[in-house]
Amino acid sequence: MSKPMPRITAVNRPYWEGCNADKLMLQRCTAADCGQYIFYPRVCCPHCGDGDPVWEQVSGRGQVLSYTLVQRPHHESFYAEAPFVFAAVTLEEGPLIYGRIEIDAAEAEGLNGRPVAIVFRDDQLPGQKLPFFRLTA
Amino acid sequence: MTDHPFDGVRIVGVGQTLYEKRSQKPIHRILWEAADLALKSAGLKWRQADGLALTSFVLPPDNVATVAEHFGLEARFLFQGLYGGASGIIGMMHAARAIRDGDAEVVICLAGDAFDVAAHNEMLDRFNGSVRDYLSPYGFGGANGMFALHTRLYMERNGATREDFGRLCVAQRENALRNPNALFKEPLTMDAYLNAREIADPLRLYDCVMPCFGGDCIILASEKVARTLKGPQLRILGGGEYHNFPANDVYSLSAGWEGFSDRMYSRAGIGPKDLHFAQLYDDYPVMEYIQLEGMQISPKGKTHEWLRKTDVTWKGEMPINTGGGQLSAGQAGASGGMIGVVEGVLQLRGEGGERQVKCQRGVVSGYGMVAYGRGLSASAAILERID
Ligand SMILES: [Zn+2]
Repeated sequence: MSKPMPRITAVNRPYWEGCNADKLMLQRCTAADCGQYIFYPRVCCPHCGDGDPVWEQVSGRGQVLSYTLVQRPHHESFYAEAPFVFAAVTLEEGPLIYGRIEIDAAEAEGLNGRPVAIVFRDDQLPGQKLPFFRLTA
Repeated sequence: MTDHPFDGVRIVGVGQTLYEKRSQKPIHRILWEAADLALKSAGLKWRQADGLALTSFVLPPDNVATVAEHFGLEARFLFQGLYGGASGIIGMMHAARAIRDGDAEVVICLAGDAFDVAAHNEMLDRFNGSVRDYLSPYGFGGANGMFALHTRLYMERNGATREDFGRLCVAQRENALRNPNALFKEPLTMDAYLNAREIADPLRLYDCVMPCFGGDCIILASEKVARTLKGPQLRILGGGEYHNFPANDVYSLSAGWEGFSDRMYSRAGIGPKDLHFAQLYDDYPVMEYIQLEGMQISPKGKTHEWLRKTDVTWKGEMPINTGGGQLSAGQAGASGGMIGVVEGVLQLRGEGGERQVKCQRGVVSGYGMVAYGRGLSASAAILERID
């Protein structure tokens, strides 16, 4: 059974192409009184409504906000990999991004607040690298 | 506009199908059965209905208009819920405004679904764009994984324990044992709750709902029609909906209720202390915490402490989900947004059977449209019996 694939669209293409080039690309609002980073990719800035976000490469560093050890995935294609850690990460630039943390299930304790860095894995989806996270401290 | 936006509107009927783990019944039949029961309880005939508010995930390619045709309804008012489990109450409030403004006389407010676990998961993977593109590719664990993150945060920020969430689940199971329509027929002990199979820690089996088949319905009517009927009648004292609140903040551990409950209470002319029950949207215990806090029934960030000293079973001082809720009666898809309304209406009509609460008014609450990390839509309404 194949894994669910993201749809690559005119809105998110730079993000997914960035992943394949090992770069984390985020949109950033260009309004003078806003300038916030944006994720997930959109046609406008969800902070101020401005319509001219631009793409920037960002650090790929962040902090675990919350996580879970998924014992029972909701999709058969993930059964063989379970249990695994799925997490919400706050990027240094501000936005919230989701991903799995590369860590043994036995070590999945007290991760909230821990610093992480993004890695791009090519063993998950055909032709599309997928961002994961690694603990950095 | 008056202080009571739902003046001149009555809730006059209620119906619920049996909840079943599996059924051969097509969705249209489930919906018809719930509506037929509700119309009969009101003493109304199908041809007297001139409006339909409907929510059902498995309905496409059919929709509320084609279901009206299927049922033979000539409809002056239609509403189709697009807000998941918040839709039932939102549809009811839209229908009430249509009746108040003279557009319709009798509106069937209906939800139902035909779901097993696999169908539920398949739907969730492509529920909307952000889930499909930025959550599903990771095997995020579905709604269980998503709400595990909120549960862990609530525990860490506020000092709640697994037992504190279990208290709600155990109390609701006690309620369900007195509800003949509920799926779960066995008592749930705290020990069984704590040691159940791990799903997505800190969530275990009994923190999660059981997808099932079923339908729920209430009937709204104008005062003019209601005067011709014999059964008990209720009014909607106030209500609200709020979506994507707070914007751009997935982990505030709050949602729309915090944004509209002041307005809801002031329009209703009562406060949280005047409620005799709360029928909450219980997809996960942590969301019940967030509803209780958002509607000022329990103190912000301290619901776990409040639950340690408050009996929330049907016989307690603040009964919650007196029919067992989705956690113990089952989650029939979009009916999750109506099961609490139906239970609240049954209680206020005095039809709660072995779980009857002594009550004059109570709050019903809905929540739905799981998207980027949280549900986007919150709704609630205060219902009161007219003596
Ligand atoms: Zn902006």
